[in-house]
Amino acid sequence: MAEVEETFKRIQAHKGVIGVIVVNSEGIPIRSTLDNSTTVQYAGLISQLAAKARSTVRDIDPGNDLTFLRIRSKKHEIMVAPENEYLLIVIQNPDAV
Amino acid sequence: MADRKAELERKKLKLEQMRKEREEKNRQRKVKEGGEEKKVAPTSSGQSQDLRAQTDELLSSLGIPPASGNDSQAVVQPVKETVGPNEGAPATSAVTTQQASRRKAKLTVTKVGETNIPPRENVTYSKETQTIVVDTTEKEGKVWFSFIAAGTPSIGASSRLSSPRHSNSSPHHGSPRFTHHDMEWEDEFEFYDEDEDTDSIDVHPAPTHHKMPHVENVHPTLTQEDIQKQEEKPSAPATKDSPVTMVKKVIELSEEEKKQIMMTEEFQTFFNKTTRVVERALDEEIDIFVDYAGGESEDMESDLRAGERLKLQRNFFDERWSKHRTVTSLDWSKQHPELLVASYNANEDSPNDPDGVTLIWNSKFKKTTPEYVFHCQSPVMSSCFAEFHPNLVVGGTYSGQIVLWDNRVNKRTPIQRTPLSAAAHTHPVYCINVVGTQNAHNLISVSTDGKMCSWSLDMLSQPQDSMELQHKQSKAVAVTCFSFLSGDVNNFVVGSEDCTVYTACRHGGKTGISEAFEGHMGPITGIDCHNVPGQIDFSPYFLTSSFDWTLKLWSIKDQKFLHSFEDNSDYVYDVQWSPIHPALFASVDGDGRLDLWNLNNETEVPTASVVAEGGVALNHCRWHGSGSSIAVGDDVGRIHIYDVAENTANPKMDEWSRFVRTLQELKQQAVEREEESSLGSVSMTSPLR
Repeated sequence: MAEVEETFKRIQAHKGVIGVIVVNSEGIPIRSTLDNSTTVQYAGLISQLAAKARSTVRDIDPGNDLTFLRIRSKKHEIMVAPENEYLLIVIQNPDAV
Repeated sequence: MADRKAELERKKLKLEQMRKEREEKNRQRKVKEGGEEKKVAPTSSGQSQDLRAQTDELLSSLGIPPASGNDSQAVVQPVKETVGPNEGAPATSAVTTQQASRRKAKLTVTKVGETNIPPRENVTYSKETQTIVVDTTEKEGKVWFSFIAAGTPSIGASSRLSSPRHSNSSPHHGSPRFTHHDMEWEDEFEFYDEDEDTDSIDVHPAPTHHKMPHVENVHPTLTQEDIQKQEEKPSAPATKDSPVTMVKKVIELSEEEKKQIMMTEEFQTFFNKTTRVVERALDEEIDIFVDYAGGESEDMESDLRAGERLKLQRNFFDERWSKHRTVTSLDWSKQHPELLVASYNANEDSPNDPDGVTLIWNSKFKKTTPEYVFHCQSPVMSSCFAEFHPNLVVGGTYSGQIVLWDNRVNKRTPIQRTPLSAAAHTHPVYCINVVGTQNAHNLISVSTDGKMCSWSLDMLSQPQDSMELQHKQSKAVAVTCFSFLSGDVNNFVVGSEDCTVYTACRHGGKTGISEAFEGHMGPITGIDCHNVPGQIDFSPYFLTSSFDWTLKLWSIKDQKFLHSFEDNSDYVYDVQWSPIHPALFASVDGDGRLDLWNLNNETEVPTASVVAEGGVALNHCRWHGSGSSIAVGDDVGRIHIYDVAENTANPKMDEWSRFVRTLQELKQQAVEREEESSLGSVSMTSPLR
């Protein structure tokens, strides 16, 4: 448990990282470093998008599966890593180098 | 019996007659329009004609025209009387004669309509299944009970109540099989139903089912939470479809639940994997949007540094795990050349942390955290990748235990340990190595009490083989470092604390220590055998480093060293040949210096040298498998990766032959030195001339 906390803090402390969210398969946030409303917003939207992305990949090739999703926008980069039943979302500002 | 037959015949004939009459009639009807009466069939039999004539007479006397009645009579007659075979014809003639007159009574032969009444279905009441069969079309006999199933979503103290039981026909009598249908009861119910139907104007099917008062189970108390959830549950699937209204879906988990989820195995696995991937992604500085047309690129700096032979590429340092710890060993992986395992000493500043830490670093990505973190209770003195098992990392500790970590498991502690017994090691294990081939390999470990054990990686509970390294009858050798000869799994050289180098053998005729090489004046810290493949084999040569500030080059075949490198001004901690260049080796010392020696260029001074920043002492050095970079570990837990310039690192074609010449020169020098020293010693004893 402490390792999980430690890792969380480490990622959060990474340069440019704005927030880290862990979401379960239903889109319910488990852990977050952002405030509640933002968390809920991100959780809902991103989990939907990830689900859509996954279904797209699988529709094209049923043997394939989504491993990583990166959304680059003008201001941020959102990295989504799905695994098992959960989703790790990290929002980073890549210009802050 | 004969009578019967006759009767049967009669009946057959009668049927034939009837058929023929019918046919005649049809024909006649068709012909009627023409008004032709073509056929005049022969008359019927005498008897029937007589009777007809009689009746005709009778009727005519009465004033009624002779009419149709004859047809039926004609039909009837043959039944009563025996008729001859020629009846068929007379019958038809009778028909024709009557056809014209007869208008009124038309007797037609009708087809017998068959109606099929399906057998009554016996509905049985069976106790096994009590499914809800809501059948509004059928007339329900009776419904005894009906519960409203109050189903609330999962969380909450709800219980699925028993489903409504509809019986199709008969009531339940408690008996499992009620197959009989007492007609009486059925009648009763039908009666009832009829009443029902006539009375009720209501079209609603539901009320018709309930004969008994409407019974409803009391709902379990719905708390605010539950109601919320109920509301949201139906709304949730809806919102998944509609992107606009998703804000509604706020299903909160309590802190407890979140903690619980985080405790699960699944979560841990997920977290391990994804954070690793995300950290790599976070660190990449590849800017795909870089615009070369807009601004000028500032990449001029990289050219300047090209000239340097040794340049620092990066550091590996972890605040949490490697701070204040000395790097005790380094090893590059052969399966994944970018992975480096580093073992660390104890951290005096934080006694609560585990004493022994082993980290696996990844030099391919820019992330600054280790790939894997392993620890154990005793300081790890040496570590290596298990060559033929890509997932295993072996460590030798200060306590003499050998530990095995597996990076497939989520645990950070070792999955296997050797026992702390006299059968295994009881002294610090500084030397550990996997030798052999894919199918036949062993883990060899040597501790500072001279004990050498060979293990199988599958079973660390007991060494496969153990041996005491002793020199000249029970003088145990305190081994600090060892190295196997190139391509050899049997012969190896060890350096010890008593300043001597020994050759030893695992199997064969002379197991144990064979020869001693003296020359160093201080304990030997590092030893390495030449192992560069090439046309010429330099495997008898090995290098040693020691506390006496020197490095020495030896050959197995000679008791005396070939050359001594005396450029250092502090303890030299480690030395290693380059894996690709036959005449190149690296050494590190207590001043923080990393030296690259190229014997073909210069044997007195290093070809390239760099001092690690921070005023640290470098404890260990390891060439990367490609020979183009070196990892050095220092005493504050930092690992420096230096890139070696290409022209220095890569051997040219003639390096091997040049090295042969170099060695020859060195040998000559050695011989001369010997002579001088022997002469010197002779001259010492003799009086001055």
